[in-house]
Amino acid sequence: MGTDLIPALDPAPIPGPPSLLVFLWVVTFFLHLLFVNAALGGAIFSALLPAALKPEARRPVALFLADVSSWAISLAVTFAIAPLLFLQTLYGRFFYTATVFVAPVWLGLLVLLLAAYYLNWTAKFRLKAGKSADLPIALSAVLFVFIAAIQVAVYLIQVQPALWSAYAARPSLVLFDPAYLPRLLHFLLAALSMAAILPAAFPRAGEAGAGGAARFGLFVALVATGAQFAVGLWLLGVLPTGVLMGLMTGGAATLGPLAAGILVGVALLGLLVRAVAAPGNVRLARVALGHLVAAAAFMVVTRHQLRDLYLAAARANERLVVATQWNVLALFLVVFVLCAGLTVWAVARAVTDRPGPGETAA
Amino acid sequence: MDYPIWNVAVGGGVLIGVIAVLHVVVSHFAIGGGIVMALAEARLARRPDPALRELLKRSSLMLILVSTVFGALSGVAIWFVIGLVHPAATSTLIHTFVWGWAIEWAFFLLEVVTALAWYATWDRVRPRTHLLLIVLYAFAAWMSLVVIQGILGFMLTPGRWLETRGFWDGFLNPTYLPGLLFRTGVCLLLAGAYMTLAALREKDREARGRLVRYLAAFEIAGVLLAVAGLLAWKGALPEEVRAVFLGAKPLVVAIATGWRHLFFAVAASALLALVGVLFPRAVRWPVALLALLAAFGVLGGYERVREGARKPFVVRDYMFSNGILVSEVEALNRNGILSKARWAAHDASPTPISRGRAVFRAECSSCHTLDGYLGIRKRTAAADADFLRLFLTSLRDDGTKWTARPPEKPDFPFMPPFVGTDEELEALVAYLDSLKTPVTAEVHRGN
Repeated sequence: MGTDLIPALDPAPIPGPPSLLVFLWVVTFFLHLLFVNAALGGAIFSALLPAALKPEARRPVALFLADVSSWAISLAVTFAIAPLLFLQTLYGRFFYTATVFVAPVWLGLLVLLLAAYYLNWTAKFRLKAGKSADLPIALSAVLFVFIAAIQVAVYLIQVQPALWSAYAARPSLVLFDPAYLPRLLHFLLAALSMAAILPAAFPRAGEAGAGGAARFGLFVALVATGAQFAVGLWLLGVLPTGVLMGLMTGGAATLGPLAAGILVGVALLGLLVRAVAAPGNVRLARVALGHLVAAAAFMVVTRHQLRDLYLAAARANERLVVATQWNVLALFLVVFVLCAGLTVWAVARAVTDRPGPGETAA
Repeated sequence: MDYPIWNVAVGGGVLIGVIAVLHVVVSHFAIGGGIVMALAEARLARRPDPALRELLKRSSLMLILVSTVFGALSGVAIWFVIGLVHPAATSTLIHTFVWGWAIEWAFFLLEVVTALAWYATWDRVRPRTHLLLIVLYAFAAWMSLVVIQGILGFMLTPGRWLETRGFWDGFLNPTYLPGLLFRTGVCLLLAGAYMTLAALREKDREARGRLVRYLAAFEIAGVLLAVAGLLAWKGALPEEVRAVFLGAKPLVVAIATGWRHLFFAVAASALLALVGVLFPRAVRWPVALLALLAAFGVLGGYERVREGARKPFVVRDYMFSNGILVSEVEALNRNGILSKARWAAHDASPTPISRGRAVFRAECSSCHTLDGYLGIRKRTAAADADFLRLFLTSLRDDGTKWTARPPEKPDFPFMPPFVGTDEELEALVAYLDSLKTPVTAEVHRGN
């Protein structure tokens, strides 16, 4: 098949500069990914805790991660909306087509997410009551992995219109795409590494098992980050030739973020080796976490570039018509700055404001 | 229309309806709940009331469990499902209103974070800070309604946008303000009704009565706003939309009946709210439950009428519910629908029945299933080929009437026109005719 099954461009013009839309898309997707990593990785790491810690030692860590997840899931959903908006504006015809092929699964994703969210709250309440929450934690981890698997499938269908005829007849073929498994593993390992560092980076003083949890978390992060190099190479190796060539011959624009991501990953590995030997060193754990966030930022840029390379042939004759709605765009920027500022201020106030002597709490 | 087609057994429209109903109820509650809780906490700051405080604390968990995730996810679910059922329409909305949605998203971010912070800081921060969090939440939640109402109203009454294609002409459409007024009223009504139900858990009889009366006041305010909004909304509708369900001879009786039922629900809500104000101790769970159901009825009735009055368009006078643009009817009558509906046509063989099936998928399958919701086999069972041809020809003539300026009255005002060449019309007749159950006797091959 050529490009004959690709839907035509929407007759309505793009309402903003495409480069700005791409920028907003990549930035908001990166923020979304951080919260996804915390929730997905947190659930997987919590599910692994029984392998290393006794119930009384793992309960505070699991509660900490469930607490983090109750915020992270809400924020991951919230931060999913913005990139989804910008993706649809620029690549709607590829995105909608891919989702129609896997429509029941695509809608099912939301059911899984809802179930995972409420399982997290169940786990949180049970842990607060001193009960075991191994089952809801394990179930939510499984659901999150399924969600990640669906997202990877939609991404790969979306970027390969040449295979749409085959996917339309049998969408499960995407599971046999050579890039499917390494891409999924790449994503899961990054999430696990990030969440596993959290107990060491934000220890709760005086809690039973805090040291053990930090040590185990750092060890898991080290193993996951080490494995990430093998999986990353695997993923590069199975990219279609044209895509790989585009990535490697794109000069500083494509090699810069990729190389930076790898270099930060190497530095992260070194930091984690040191941190495992000194699990009480909070500063070191936080520096490692910072490196992981930076590596994720570079990889998000590379991920976006890969999408463009995959779609290069299909979009070769695309002529976008742009009619920027400048006044609405300006209003958005003002509202965004206002809301983001109020959000940060509200959180800061909620965290720092405490009743003084003689005052009552709300 | 040049997208692949998702054949869902219950019908795409039904699926959208189910998800939309869940979402609008939850999201309106989340907005109204924010306003009621903010005002109640402000009252608490002036006049301590342990029963009211306990009610707010209990409701805060409900607010975040329902609002920050179920509300958000069901909102995303609407997007997902309209993207699956009406990708072309979704694309049009995105291209027109992406910055509007982005503004709503910014408010939503503030809404989610302040809701979580408000819940997490009971017994931890000073009352003033706690009040500030819920006030911010209420503001952000209502602002998200202020934004989304522009897009919802646009689909029924795009107004001057049809000529200018300008964001503000579409956003500030004729039904924008009336719809906003109505929805704000419903938000208060729903929140008051739900929280009354929650207040009945209060054991102290006097405190319970006080809470019920206090919350009923929000329901009264909600009903008043909703009625004012509804009347203004009715007045702002263009004549051709009013003709669908208003007047002595409405075009669509079912929508006209829905409109009357909507006012019954409003009257029931008003009556039950008055009971709450005048006889608060008489309000026990059956009355409170009835009030909540009546509030659902008000919102559901309005959505039913609004959606119904929009048919056969997804964006009135711009795009039909099957994704065909009003502006392309003439060209598609000349070139054929299958020249555009590439996915519907891509696996069709040259036989008339196969091409007719492709035409059906392109033009009819966004509303009709084969044997499920609005099943076409049952609907055409009694029609022979001549009747089908006559009907489709009449539907094609409607296309000319819809596209005339000003539009003329179509024969089938509830259905998109048939669009396509003579050959495609004949192919569709052949396909529909082929769906009839064969009358030949089954041959039993016995041993």
